[in-house]
Amino acid sequence: MTCDLKLPINARCRASIPRWRVSALLLTTVLLLPATHAWSDGAPNAVQHLAVGVCATCHGARGISNLPKIPVLAGQSEAYLTAQLHAFKTQTRGDADAIGYMWGMAADLTDEQILNLSHYYATAAAPAQTHASSRQTVMAQITLGHDIYAQGIVERGVPACRACHGPEAHGLGDFPRLAGQHAAYITKQLLAFQNTTRDVAVMHAVTTTLQRAEMTAVATYLQSLP
Amino acid sequence: MTATRLLPTVHAPRLIARVMAIFTALVGLLHTGVAGAVPSFARQTGMACASCHTVFPELTHFGRMFKAGGYVIDNLKQVKDVSLERRENLSLSDLPPLSLMIQVSDTQLAKPLPDTAKAAGSAQNGTVAFPQQVSIFYAGKIAPHVGAFLQLTYANDSGTIGIDNVDLRYADMRVLPNDQSLVYGVSLNNNPTVQDLWNSTPAFGFPFVSSNSALGIPYATQIDGSRGQDVAGISAYVFWKESVYAELGVYRSAKQGTAGPLDSTSAGGVLATPAPYWRVAYETNQGPHSLMLGTYGMSFQLYPDLAGCPSCNPPTTTGYGNLLGGPSDRFRDVAFDLQYQFLSEPHTASVMATHIHETQTLNASVLAGAAQRLDNTLTTSRVTATYYYKRQMGGSLNAFSTTGTQDDLYIATTTHAPDTRGVTAELSYLPWLNTKISLQYTAYTKYAGLKQNYDGLGRNASDNNSLYVVAWLAY
Repeated sequence: MTCDLKLPINARCRASIPRWRVSALLLTTVLLLPATHAWSDGAPNAVQHLAVGVCATCHGARGISNLPKIPVLAGQSEAYLTAQLHAFKTQTRGDADAIGYMWGMAADLTDEQILNLSHYYATAAAPAQTHASSRQTVMAQITLGHDIYAQGIVERGVPACRACHGPEAHGLGDFPRLAGQHAAYITKQLLAFQNTTRDVAVMHAVTTTLQRAEMTAVATYLQSLP
Repeated sequence: MTATRLLPTVHAPRLIARVMAIFTALVGLLHTGVAGAVPSFARQTGMACASCHTVFPELTHFGRMFKAGGYVIDNLKQVKDVSLERRENLSLSDLPPLSLMIQVSDTQLAKPLPDTAKAAGSAQNGTVAFPQQVSIFYAGKIAPHVGAFLQLTYANDSGTIGIDNVDLRYADMRVLPNDQSLVYGVSLNNNPTVQDLWNSTPAFGFPFVSSNSALGIPYATQIDGSRGQDVAGISAYVFWKESVYAELGVYRSAKQGTAGPLDSTSAGGVLATPAPYWRVAYETNQGPHSLMLGTYGMSFQLYPDLAGCPSCNPPTTTGYGNLLGGPSDRFRDVAFDLQYQFLSEPHTASVMATHIHETQTLNASVLAGAAQRLDNTLTTSRVTATYYYKRQMGGSLNAFSTTGTQDDLYIATTTHAPDTRGVTAELSYLPWLNTKISLQYTAYTKYAGLKQNYDGLGRNASDNNSLYVVAWLAY
């Protein structure tokens, strides 16, 4: 404590605690506050902890990624998610990002964790409808994409996507939800099916004659769906 | 890792000694190789380098979260032990997280430097460094919530193996409402900003590698690498919603190659009181864009290094000679930084900038006769723009500037001014993600206060321009 008798009474003495110590004390307090808050909600769920602490860095909070190359997981078909996580773990899904990112990420997941993660994301609210650009080129893509999705391209033997993915692209069982998915991600997957780096016989057959512009059109249409 | 090339000869022998000491300390520190990308992290996570790096060692958002999380994400089989309450007491990877890094280089200066011993001679131009640096890392998980980035380095200029950057961490995470995260942790490290998550701060900033046989910027602020591997600090941080980052820490001198306790024979400046460190940053990520705005700083209370001080009373030629007591010099560093990244395929681009302003109050140096002015300033600004195609071919353009107060005693150059500025251009090619070959050219438009004849012996700033080729391999 240091005192200066020339100063007013209430300012004469002050504790000679270095400022950094005060700062350290404040930080400690800040650190304890969130911990208290978190525990007041009950013990954290292990899968929620895994999803929030690891998966969310790329896939976003509750599976809504804002990175175009990273898929939205919220509202995705549970069976599809489980199948994909197993495919990553067993290294049977071979598109570039699966190898670079997900093979490692899924390598040590247990079957229970895979089931729980799939359930966590399947039950998360799917993203709200995105506002599609009103630019003429985008509108034309959406129209073309809708036509391909609903009717396919008969003359080239491309079947209608809706037959498997559902009329609103919400997915069905092993067939994934596509509505609201990032267009860039869908396009990348269609290319991977076409060149068989992602080796799925059905989708390879569907995409064999599909042109790049048509893939972009379908992807743009699907991204615009709620 | 110290530079052996010094400023060209000036007339007073004692001044030469002082210049040598300052350059050895400051330029050498600036030349300390940066290494923040190690394959052991890739082995531990099972993820390719591109998950954490745009191009090594620049971190992506995922890389920043991996670091903030304590380097502990692992996807390898673990040797484990758990208590009856199923608390993990041990979690050891089957594979120890070891890595090796090698840098091999060649440096060509625009004009050879004068011989350091024979006044009429010149040093050989074209310095091959084989290796310039070899580092061994322990980088990865140690225990649940605890990880390490620990680097041991052999450098050709010192010819010794020594401790390099170290960052030991404890980190954990809380789930917030709406499934947001709050990451928090503690870092124990030996270089202020080595624990930072962005590449706009000094320790892992551009240039990520530079020549140790070319002249670097002669004066640097304290937080700008001057105290690397010379201090030990502990800091606590929080990262809220992967967006708002706040950190507070404190450092104390922890000299290498000097037996304790520290006294008047201890090399370099010794901290008189613990030095506080702070950092606040805001990051936002939208689609392929990532933007960070931040501020950081530190306050140092240092006993001055009075080695080779001809103006001191009594003058000193060798040793350090300053009692670790009484008055000290104060350095207050306040910095602002910015980082923007665009991550797409096949293009990645980034801009990194920092501005560091140091206020010096040289009580002890003035009293000892080692400084003329009580209040000096030193300001450094750097801006770097980087582009890569397919993360394989690309380059960076960097502009740097250091300005400060002229002080006839404290600044031991002929002009007694620290002002230096220039640009660095770098082209890089990565045949594989863990191998980088770079061609780097640095051009000075001002050096130690002047554009021309900065040493009084006819050497111009542009004579220090350098062409540097380096192969950087990490395994």
